[in-house]
Amino acid sequence: MKTVRLYLRSMKMLMKCQLEYPFSFFLQTLAQLVMEGGEMMAVILIIDRFDRVNQWEAGDLFFFFGIMSVTFYLTECFGRGITGNFPYLIRTGQLDTILLRPRGVLTQVLCSAVDPRRITCIAVGTVSMVIGCNLARVQWTVLKVLAMAEAVLLGAVLILALFVIEAIFCIYSVKSVELVNALSYGGRSACEYPIDIYPRPLRILFTAIAPFALVLHVPAAYILGKPLYGWPEWTAFVCPLAGAVFFGLIYLAFQKAMRFYRSTGS
Amino acid sequence: MRSYLSAFRLRRKMELQYRGAMLGGIICQVVFGLILIALYRALYAGKPQALPLQHVVTYVWLQQAFFRMLLASDPDLLDKIRSGSIAYDLCRPLNLYGFYYARIMAQKITGSLMRAVPMLLFASLLPQGWGISLPASLPALLLSLLALMLGLLCVSALENITMAFTMRTLDPRGIQAMLNLLMMTLSGNILPLTLFPDSWQKVITLLPYAQLLDAPIRLYTGDVPVGEAWRILLIQAVWIAVLIALGVWLWNRHQKRIVLQGG
Repeated sequence: MKTVRLYLRSMKMLMKCQLEYPFSFFLQTLAQLVMEGGEMMAVILIIDRFDRVNQWEAGDLFFFFGIMSVTFYLTECFGRGITGNFPYLIRTGQLDTILLRPRGVLTQVLCSAVDPRRITCIAVGTVSMVIGCNLARVQWTVLKVLAMAEAVLLGAVLILALFVIEAIFCIYSVKSVELVNALSYGGRSACEYPIDIYPRPLRILFTAIAPFALVLHVPAAYILGKPLYGWPEWTAFVCPLAGAVFFGLIYLAFQKAMRFYRSTGS
Repeated sequence: MRSYLSAFRLRRKMELQYRGAMLGGIICQVVFGLILIALYRALYAGKPQALPLQHVVTYVWLQQAFFRMLLASDPDLLDKIRSGSIAYDLCRPLNLYGFYYARIMAQKITGSLMRAVPMLLFASLLPQGWGISLPASLPALLLSLLALMLGLLCVSALENITMAFTMRTLDPRGIQAMLNLLMMTLSGNILPLTLFPDSWQKVITLLPYAQLLDAPIRLYTGDVPVGEAWRILLIQAVWIAVLIALGVWLWNRHQKRIVLQGG
């Protein structure tokens, strides 16, 4: 509980910092809108030209895009410390200060940054999801709402874990490793569309290694009423747990890596 | 002229320092390329288009290979303006516009060539339908190289205009991000411009963003026949003249008003 309070307090402080330069903040937020708007425009144009992919129609595609961007940018907004700053903390040796304090490393890093500019991206994602639901005529039930909440929450956990991998690499090599972006940002790009349109190697990559498909696509397909691979209903609630398992494994690896950590500071 | 050349050379050497990061970048870019191609292949399987799939695949690979040319990033100037050490630059007996122009060019050329060569090699080894195809003809290849050079001049000029704004606002992240993003969308990086609705293409291909990569790629794949290449080259030349003129004007204006930070 104390940790949560600490996190909320840091968030409040950091938000205030961001708003110190209102004009720049406004422009950056707008830039985020242009970015996510551009991504969504690509989806609109693709649907305009191709109508559908396999069994997925326009509404389904909007929904998949929406759930991905909401999840990804919620993570980038509230997990900014891990998704953005971590390699910098290691390179400059600032992680040392964190190690001195009586709280967990990841908790403190999470508390160290927030990125409210992403709010426009989340908004674009939400709009896309609403459009998708309307076009696909989704009948909402309590179970479906629960499935979506679970998917978004565990999706965020999964994405955080992917960025922790980058942190682990960084502990060993000091320099930030662009390679991991292939999994995190590549996963975002690929899994904006349903996984079953891709050839087998990509499907395996984003199902078994970075389980975006299990965490986001299985529940999303269930909500849309077109179960992925014809899997039964309960899988929509069980599969997303893969995100939590993935985070657990990465967390263990992170603890191990921290023991290796050597300061770069002087 | 010689001093601008040496600014260019120094910057090029800087870029060559980070080879490890480069390898990671290449792999990352290749994965992105493969994901996009897989997506377009699935889309084409459902509803084939007038534009051959092979052209789209080639488009994606060339975009990924020269991706670095799109990114606007010269953090040094920003630091210099914030810390006040821009004063040293102002002391140089050089035109600052030309100085930074040379640096931007060097960064873009070196950064992208180092990545493009291995990536295009890799892309040419992939099987038919996944890999890059050969240029439409030899003249098409030569013309597309020329168009790439002109496009680069065009985009560097565009970027120098953002730099001019940096001097005024001190925190250019907003405007820089905006430019980057307009660039990603309107240059065909997110979705090939050839897949935009046909009526949009008529306008978008006229914008400066399309000059850098879209125009050369269209020449390369033969979407624009060699006989009509002069139109592209003319558009590029006009943009270069306009953007450089605007840039020089802004730099001169802002340079007079610049406030040196720090002491």
